[in-house]
Amino acid sequence: MSQKPDYTELQQRRAKALAMGGEERLAKRRAQNILNARERLSHLLDAGSFHESGLLAASYRPAARDKTPADGKIAGFGKIDGRPVAVVSNDFTVLGASSSVVNGKKIKHIRSVANESGMPLILLGESAGARMPDRMGAEGRAILGQDPAEYLRDRRTPWVSALLGSCYGSSTWYSCLSDFAVMRKGATMAVASSRVTELAIKQSVDPEDLGGWKLHTGTTGLVDVAVDTDEEALEMVKRFLSYLPSHNGEAPPIAAVPAGSDDAIKDILDVVPQSRTKTYDSREVIRRILDKDTMFELKPRFGKSLVTTLGRIDGKSVGIIANNPKFKGGSIDVDACAKATSFLVMCDSFNVPLIFLADQPGFLIGIDGEKRGAPGRIMNWMNAITQVTVPKITITLRKNYGQAYLNMGGGRNSNESAAWPEADYGFMDAGTAVNVLHGVRYEDEPERFKQLVESVTQDNAPWALAALYEIQDVIAPHETRDYLKALLAIHSRAPSRGIGQHRLANWPTSY
Amino acid sequence: MAIISINSDITGTVWKVLVKPGDSVEEDQELIILESMKMEIPVTASEAAIVQEVCVTEGQAISEGDVVATLEV
Repeated sequence: MSQKPDYTELQQRRAKALAMGGEERLAKRRAQNILNARERLSHLLDAGSFHESGLLAASYRPAARDKTPADGKIAGFGKIDGRPVAVVSNDFTVLGASSSVVNGKKIKHIRSVANESGMPLILLGESAGARMPDRMGAEGRAILGQDPAEYLRDRRTPWVSALLGSCYGSSTWYSCLSDFAVMRKGATMAVASSRVTELAIKQSVDPEDLGGWKLHTGTTGLVDVAVDTDEEALEMVKRFLSYLPSHNGEAPPIAAVPAGSDDAIKDILDVVPQSRTKTYDSREVIRRILDKDTMFELKPRFGKSLVTTLGRIDGKSVGIIANNPKFKGGSIDVDACAKATSFLVMCDSFNVPLIFLADQPGFLIGIDGEKRGAPGRIMNWMNAITQVTVPKITITLRKNYGQAYLNMGGGRNSNESAAWPEADYGFMDAGTAVNVLHGVRYEDEPERFKQLVESVTQDNAPWALAALYEIQDVIAPHETRDYLKALLAIHSRAPSRGIGQHRLANWPTSY
Repeated sequence: MAIISINSDITGTVWKVLVKPGDSVEEDQELIILESMKMEIPVTASEAAIVQEVCVTEGQAISEGDVVATLEV
């Protein structure tokens, strides 16, 4: 009788790795209602689907090997809604999930398998930065930069990042390289921690001011959405991925159309005021056009005069860029330009057709914008839209003024354009145009001013553009959803199976 | 409790003041409405809060960046 093999050591080593940074540290997190790195994976992935890679990995320094289960970054593959994904979950209980030689090798492996086999890469961030003392001194330099593609972002598969604690170093870098970043309120993201910042530049800083959710969702735009809990953040990751293909070589998945999706469009005029001077929230229009409850807005607190949102029409994923008159009257500022460009790059890279809903009085002019390089940002957007190869459809709802008309898909910058009957294609506001062209002010000659405004306004109506076939149709607002359903089916790009040329895939990851 | 300022992000004239000190407001709720660029443009609360002070009056001309109200969050 052969001797039964003894796997005790294997079992012991696995158990030790699964115990992470020890019960004391894990209990502290439980007390604060913060999930640990493995619990996060359980919430994120389909039950039983996680296949770990590198459970027995540990520090390359023998002295630290016993204290570094999985070397602080838990890595592997799993499924979300039955679709494969690659994932790295930072384990803060192990030396603050600091970046090291071995866990760097793990990230590199996961990333390259994700690319080769066409899986989204998900990074659950919470890390202290570079591991000390490994990186100190000239010898420390020798372990950095062993992977020259470490920060290469070529958008072969979607990348998603969740910021779930203190994020410095790799968690920050990968978040900035991602297509979507969600932050739990209370988490921070910065180049270096507030402690390091205080020591280095003698500046006392509050972590929230240095890199909290308000800063990143409102001012920098580096984070798309902030939520209250880890669980909500992980739901956001799943929801974002549901709109995208697993890799750039396939079209996005098609979902079932929820019952009642055609109802909301019927009262669309209730949310769009007849008066041109009145503002409204264009997200209420978008909700009525999309399949029910499929709106997934990106960067809602950043560049608010422009809305960028994923959604579905007839079960198909679409990206919508809409001006929002509720903020700054819909005028396009520098942040709105950055937001539009990054959204164009993302949608085009992952074969998501684009819809523009235009209602804008022009670029926001003024010293502030010029100081921030507004003309360059406007041209970034123009350069991007010119290179987009997914279908582009533009609908002008009300005003569509100035050069920004082109940024919103005007002229041949869309494959197909239509207008609502109320559309106003002036170069500037009619009253301002009468001032500039005729030198007539309302205060001096009210009757003549009114007549001139009327004649200029008439000239701005969509009929001439429709007659010249520069727009393909004029549609009533309540026909918008059916119109888009029809056009998305017509512009199917059947010969390429809906896959674009991805000319923007190597563009920057923020603007 | 912290006090935050709500600044106008656009130059214009105050057309309507919609809140008074002590009012509770939601995120994105309109605080005042400006007339600017021939539009009625609302200035909204950046987050849910209590209005502490309204710093402008109807008819007043204001510039981009001016504080229109302070909120207690």
